[in-house]
Amino acid sequence: MSLIEIRNLEFTYKGGTQPALKGIDLDINPGEFIVIMGHSGAGKSTLCLTLNGLVPNLKKGAFKGEVKIKGTPTAGHKVSHFARTVVLVFQDFETQLFSTSVELEVAFGPENFNVPPEEIKERVREALQKVRLTGFENRQPANLSGGQKQRLAIASVLSIQPEIICMDEPTTDLDPVGKYEVFSIASALRQEKRMTMIIVEHEVEEALEADRIILMKEGTILAQGTPREILSQSDLLANCAVKPLDMAELFGRLGFKELPLTVEEGLEAWRRAGLTFNQERYRSMVAAQQSAREGKYGQPIIEVKGLRHSYENNFEALKGIDLTIREGEFVAILGQNGSGKTTLVKHFNGLLRPTAGEVVVAGMDTRAESIDKFGRVVGYVFQNPDHQIFAGTVKEEVAYGPKLYGVPPAEIEERVRDALQAVELAGLEEEDPFSLTKGQRQRVAVASILAAKPRVIILDEPTTGLDYKEQRGMMELVRRLNDMGHTIIMVTHSMWVTAEYAHRVVVVKDGRVVMDGPTREVFAREDELEAAFLKPPQIVRFSNRLGATCLSVEEVMACLESREGGAE
Amino acid sequence: MNLYLYLDKDTIVHRLDPRAKILILICTFAIPLLNDHPLWVAGATLLILIYGMLARSLGNIARIKTILVLIFIFSSLMWFVFAKGTTPLFWRVTRESVMYGLATGLKIDAMIIAGLIFLSTTKNEEITQGLIKLGLPFAVAFVFSTALRLVPTFVGAGATVSQAMRSRGLDIDSGSFLERIKKYVPLLVPIFLSSIRNTDSLAMALESKGFGNSPRRTFYLQLKWQPFDTLFLVFFVVLTILNAWAKINGFTSISGLIK
Repeated sequence: MSLIEIRNLEFTYKGGTQPALKGIDLDINPGEFIVIMGHSGAGKSTLCLTLNGLVPNLKKGAFKGEVKIKGTPTAGHKVSHFARTVVLVFQDFETQLFSTSVELEVAFGPENFNVPPEEIKERVREALQKVRLTGFENRQPANLSGGQKQRLAIASVLSIQPEIICMDEPTTDLDPVGKYEVFSIASALRQEKRMTMIIVEHEVEEALEADRIILMKEGTILAQGTPREILSQSDLLANCAVKPLDMAELFGRLGFKELPLTVEEGLEAWRRAGLTFNQERYRSMVAAQQSAREGKYGQPIIEVKGLRHSYENNFEALKGIDLTIREGEFVAILGQNGSGKTTLVKHFNGLLRPTAGEVVVAGMDTRAESIDKFGRVVGYVFQNPDHQIFAGTVKEEVAYGPKLYGVPPAEIEERVRDALQAVELAGLEEEDPFSLTKGQRQRVAVASILAAKPRVIILDEPTTGLDYKEQRGMMELVRRLNDMGHTIIMVTHSMWVTAEYAHRVVVVKDGRVVMDGPTREVFAREDELEAAFLKPPQIVRFSNRLGATCLSVEEVMACLESREGGAE
Repeated sequence: MNLYLYLDKDTIVHRLDPRAKILILICTFAIPLLNDHPLWVAGATLLILIYGMLARSLGNIARIKTILVLIFIFSSLMWFVFAKGTTPLFWRVTRESVMYGLATGLKIDAMIIAGLIFLSTTKNEEITQGLIKLGLPFAVAFVFSTALRLVPTFVGAGATVSQAMRSRGLDIDSGSFLERIKKYVPLLVPIFLSSIRNTDSLAMALESKGFGNSPRRTFYLQLKWQPFDTLFLVFFVVLTILNAWAKINGFTSISGLIK
C-alpha cells in the first residue's frame, strides 16, 4: 500500500487567480527516495505542503481532489495529527528553529506527542547522533553555521520518528559543504532505516541517487521516472527550467544515443568513441579571451591593504587581506559560509570600516569619508531583494536612490527608464513590486542600484532562490552590465555561474585570501579548491581530466578535434 | 553577531528555579518603586547590581550602557523641572525636585537592569515552564516566550534592511527629528513584511512538529525546587516587605517634596 495517495488534486491559494496545482496524481511508496524538480512557481513547495495537510488546513484556498495519508484524507484533520507519519523541513532554517538550545529544539516534537521525558532524552541523543551534532546539546541554534542549522532542523523532526521526511529545497541557502552534509545525512538515513524521503532540489547532480525524479511544470507533473530516464532528456529539463547535467548536455550535442551522467561515465564514453581534444585550439582560445579582457581593464578602483576586521564580540572575521580590483573586472568571491566573504565586500562601500589596514575605493579612504559618498561609486545589491523593496510601484522604487542623491527630476525619469530597460522590466513601471516573481524582484533591486549609476556593482548571491532560466537571465544581465563598463564583484556559492561568467576568482577561507587568479587557473587546481570545500562543475572536472580547463560545454565543443565518422 | 540576551553560564542565579527567578523579578521591580529618596533608590540599585554580579550578567548591562545613561539623564532633567519642592535652587529647580529626578532616573534604570538579569539567566523554555507551573495556561506562556524569541529576529532583519538602505544613499543620522522619522518609512515596510513572512513560516514549522496535537504534552525540562531557591526567594520577599513597611512609615520619602 502506498503511504501517501494523491488523486486528481487541484489547489488554488486564497486570492490567487491561477491554480498552484492541478491534475496531480501521485503515490508515494514506503522506502522510496523521490526528488522533485521544476521551475520557480511550478508548485513544488505547494505539493510539499499538501503532503502533511498544511495545505489546505493552514494555508487556505480552493482544494479539489484528495490527499490520503495512510488512508486518512488530510482535509479537515489537524496538521499535527499527521506529524507522526510525515514531517517537513523547510528551506529557511532560520525561522524553523525557535528554541534556545539544540537539545530543546530536538525535544520539542516528542513533547507535543506526550512522550515521557526519559524517552525524549533517548530520542534526542539518537537524532543528534544521526545528523552528527552530538556534543552540541547545549549550544544556541543561532550560533551554529548554516549547514549545522539545517542538520538541526532535520534532527528536530527525526525525533518524532516519522515514516516520511519531506525537505523543501533544504540546501538552497547553503554553501557546498553544507549541501554535502545534508545530502550525506539523507543517504545515511535511507540506508539505515529505509526511511521514505522526498526532496525538492535544484541541483541535478544531487538527484542522481534518487529512485524517482518528478518533474513539475506550471502546477502539473510533466514527467516522472528514474534519474537515468529523466536526466538524459536535456530538452525536457530545459523545458522545466532545470539545469541539464553537463555530461548529458555535451554528449547529447555530440549526437550520442546512450548519454553518460557522471564524469567517469563521460570519460569512458569519450575514450570509447575515440574523441580527441585539440590542445592547440584550446590554447589559442584561452589566449584570445585573456588578451581581450586584459585590454578592457582600467586603473585599480578598489585597493585593499592589510585589511583586518573584528566584530564587537572580538571575533576576527578578516585576518589580513590584500586585494586590488581594476575597473572593468568581473570578480567572483567564493568561500564557505562564515569564511568572511560578505564581511570583505561590505568594506567596499563603507558599510564596514577596517579595524586595521585600509580600503581605498576610487581614491577615497573608507575610514575618512561617510558612507553616502560611496553609494554613488559602489552599488550593493543585497541577497534578498525583500530587504530593500518598500515602494508602491517599480518606478518609485528605482527612482529612490537618484532622488536621495539630488538628481534633477527630468534626469531621474531618464535614469529609471534606462535602468528598467537594462534589467528588461520596461513596461512594468506602475506595477507593485510585491506582485512580481522573486526573479523579477531581484531585477528591480538591481535596477534601483543601476539608477544611481555606480561604477562598481556588488552582488551578494544574485542567483540564490532562482530557477535555472532565471539564473541565466540574471547572469546575462550582469554580463551586459560588465560589458557596459561596470566593475562586477559577486559573492556566490554557485560554481557553474562562477565558471561561465566570472573573469577572476578570489577564494576566501577563515578570513584570508587563499586563492586569487583568472577563473580558469583557479578551477584547474581542484585539490586546493577541495581544501576550501569547493567543487567545480562537472564540465570543468571532466575537462581537467582531459588536460585542459574548459569552463562551459561550449568551450569543450569548440576545442573538439574535428571527426570524420560523426557520432557512433 | 549574537542578538540573544541569554548568557550560557553556570552561576548560582542560572541554577535557580525559573519560578524563583520570576518571583524575584517581581520583587526587584517592586523594591525600586517603593523608594523615593535617592539614597534609598541607590541602595536598591546596588542590591540589584550585586544580584547581577552573582549572575555574571553585568556584560549584558554594559552593552546597553548608553541607553541607560540617556534614560537617566532625560528622566532626571525632566523631573528637575516638573517636580515641585520647597527649597528653591534656581529657576523652577528645587533641592527636592533634584533629589526626586535623580531617584526617578535611577529607579527606571534599576528596573531595566533587573529585567535584563532575568533574561540573561533564564532560557525561553524555562520562562515558559516557570509561567506554566505558576498557573498560566501553556498557550499563553508559549505566546509570551515566542514573542521574546522573535525580538532578536526582528532586530536582525532591521539591521540588514538598514544596511541595504544606507547602501542606496539613505542617511539616517542627519536632519531634524521629523525628517528622520520620515526617513524610517523605507525601513519599516521591508522589516514589517519580512517579519510577517517569518511568523508565517514559524507557524508552519510548529504545526509540522505536532504542536497542538493533543491537549496534554510532556516537558523535557524538569523543574526542581531546591533549598537555595527558597533561601533566595525568602531573602528578596523579606526585603520587599521590610521596604514596604519603611515606605508606609515615610522613611524612604523626600521631605519637602510637594506631591
